[in-house]
Amino acid sequence: MTAKVNVVHKEYAVKKHLYLLMIVPALVVYTLFAAYPFISSLSLSFFDWGGVGPKKFIGLQNYQMILHGILSQEFYRAVVHNAIYFIGTWALTIIPGLFFAFLLNSGLKGTNIFKIIFFFPNVLPIIVIGFLFSLLLNPQWGPINAFLRGIGLEALVRPWLGDVKFAFPTIIVISSWKMLGFYILVFLAAMLSVGKDQIEAARLDGASEMHIGWSIVLPHIFPTVVTLTILKFIGAFNVFDIVYAMEGTQAGPAGATDVLGTLFYRLAFGGLGSTAMGMGLGAAVVSLIFVIVFPLSILYVFILDRRMGGIE
Amino acid sequence: MKKLFAMLLLAVVVISFSFAQEKVTVWGWRPQDVPLWQKVERILQSRGVKVSIDYQPFLSSEYFSKLYATLQGGSGPDIMYTGRLPKFPAFRSEIEQKYQASYPLIEGNFLLPLDGKVDFSNFPDSTMNLIRQNGTTWGVPFANQIVGIFYNTEIFEKYNLKEPSTWDELLAICDKLLKNKVTPFYVSGKDAWTLAMQNAIVSVSYPGEDWIAKLLNGETRFTDPQYVEMLTALNDLKKYYQKDFSANSLAELDMAFPMGQAAMVFDGIFGSANWLQSNPDFKFGFFPAPPKVKGVNPKVYVYMDGSLAIYAKSKHQAAALEVLKFTATPEFGKLFSEETGEMTAVKGVTMPADKPVLVECYKAAMSIASKSIYWTGGPFDMGKPTVYTILSPNMQAMYLGMLSPADFAAKIQDGVGIWYPPFKK
Repeated sequence: MTAKVNVVHKEYAVKKHLYLLMIVPALVVYTLFAAYPFISSLSLSFFDWGGVGPKKFIGLQNYQMILHGILSQEFYRAVVHNAIYFIGTWALTIIPGLFFAFLLNSGLKGTNIFKIIFFFPNVLPIIVIGFLFSLLLNPQWGPINAFLRGIGLEALVRPWLGDVKFAFPTIIVISSWKMLGFYILVFLAAMLSVGKDQIEAARLDGASEMHIGWSIVLPHIFPTVVTLTILKFIGAFNVFDIVYAMEGTQAGPAGATDVLGTLFYRLAFGGLGSTAMGMGLGAAVVSLIFVIVFPLSILYVFILDRRMGGIE
Repeated sequence: MKKLFAMLLLAVVVISFSFAQEKVTVWGWRPQDVPLWQKVERILQSRGVKVSIDYQPFLSSEYFSKLYATLQGGSGPDIMYTGRLPKFPAFRSEIEQKYQASYPLIEGNFLLPLDGKVDFSNFPDSTMNLIRQNGTTWGVPFANQIVGIFYNTEIFEKYNLKEPSTWDELLAICDKLLKNKVTPFYVSGKDAWTLAMQNAIVSVSYPGEDWIAKLLNGETRFTDPQYVEMLTALNDLKKYYQKDFSANSLAELDMAFPMGQAAMVFDGIFGSANWLQSNPDFKFGFFPAPPKVKGVNPKVYVYMDGSLAIYAKSKHQAAALEVLKFTATPEFGKLFSEETGEMTAVKGVTMPADKPVLVECYKAAMSIASKSIYWTGGPFDMGKPTVYTILSPNMQAMYLGMLSPADFAAKIQDGVGIWYPPFKK
């Protein structure tokens, strides 16, 4: 009997170690590419370091400079821009994404072609988008202004990327255009999991398509909306590439498109004249981005956990 | 069989030849230098120097981060392009040198001291001061840049225009061009750094070199009425720029100017290669920004662009040194100017006759370069925030009507006043 118990215990121990062994590859990758860079970046934020050579420990001076010192104005302006970017891109991707997903899910003709059309911008490299739109939006000969002039809307013609009021909204619209296809596909996938019987029953009961969408489909895909909203928030506070492609690291005009990503880039890598790099300052900005994004990441994991639990 | 033998022989020759050459890796931020290095390699090899050069250019905005990351990892190129050092030795003890691009390389012992190894007699002291620290020389300067106003000679000839000698004459030229429906200036307002450059181009003539000297010594401030007047003059000039200039980039300027879409640009000689690429028949001239009144000598803004340094732990130090010795000669200086169309840092070099504007710029750099400057290469580069980082976005803000010239001047003063020692006295 004791021998049998020992065998069971041994088997359990082996299985337990096997589980641990199985998470090792993921753990190694996570440690190397996520945990280590983050901890290293966090520790760097307490140093004055030009990117090479000896580092000088300066405590919280980098944070002081960013939050209360000479960089505070730029930092808070960037935070506001990131928040605006989140709200803008949320409104221009989640809402139209849901709308087009409903349309594509309703069995209209040519659905697949529309899916490809919507998803196409998503596969274009950001640098291509930047180049493409810099041509389209050229104030003198760009086709967008030419079109507006052509249809008699001269009053709407403007230097889109050089106008303090319009540069950032333009970037938000372009970014949303690029991402819209992805949101449509995710919502479509979520809609496909809605029980057909339920919808059929509702139709038999005389419910309109609108009513079905509002009362059956939307509640079903609501967790997906929440998940995508959280991911969008995290993405919005990490945005860099689209602003860099459209306006460069200076994020002009006059800082009107400056976000935390471009601020980080300027501080960390210098790049203006013979200004040296400030890796410590850059690391401090990254740590502050983490402070903003981390609570939402936890919420995301919590929701994901609950949804996985529901599936089980 | 004969064929096989011949091929084997060829392979042996090629392999032995490549083994005989010592490969020197050069890292830089200038893609236009690729043919230059190929020629340097050929010249050195023809003289029996057993060296092959592998030049790798990187994006200028990423260059230093890549270089530093590699050096920090324990390796590096044999030769590297490096930035300037502080220009004003008098302030060195007071200003934190860590903000200079080359300083971390020196502090981290990554560079090989070159004194006694390379002959620097072909460089003027003014240039050498930018790469010497505490009596030690850390690099071989490779280029001087000159920035000013470039103009389309065909347009100037067509409307019988002459290079202006005062600011009012410049305005008169602009008015005449406007009357004839020609855009006087093409400005790349989207690339903020070019606006900072524009500010610097004008400053050396108006308010002028002497005023800048006083500013650097702390005898005056950016808020001085003379400086505010210059900013106002610049702000007033915007009516002569192309419509919606705030959305145009330097790449667009490089196409529009040589295609005759505007008569003048504020730019550096480094832009000329791009113009000629867009229009090989393009004819252009150069003049310094005019001073406010007649009788004051106009000045040009000249700065050392960078230098070539040797990695202290290079495994090919002897070969790299051979390459660097050559880059310190007038022969290299001539080759550099011929290949790149830019000004060599070596003195006494005859500029290529087929590049008349380069000849003119070189002459201007030698004769009317401003001794005092406050943009790139000046002492305001040595702290945080630099004048460069303040000028760029705020020039945009002024042009867009968000900031008055007086407020702009105050902003520069407030930013630099935090750290610039003469302003703290």
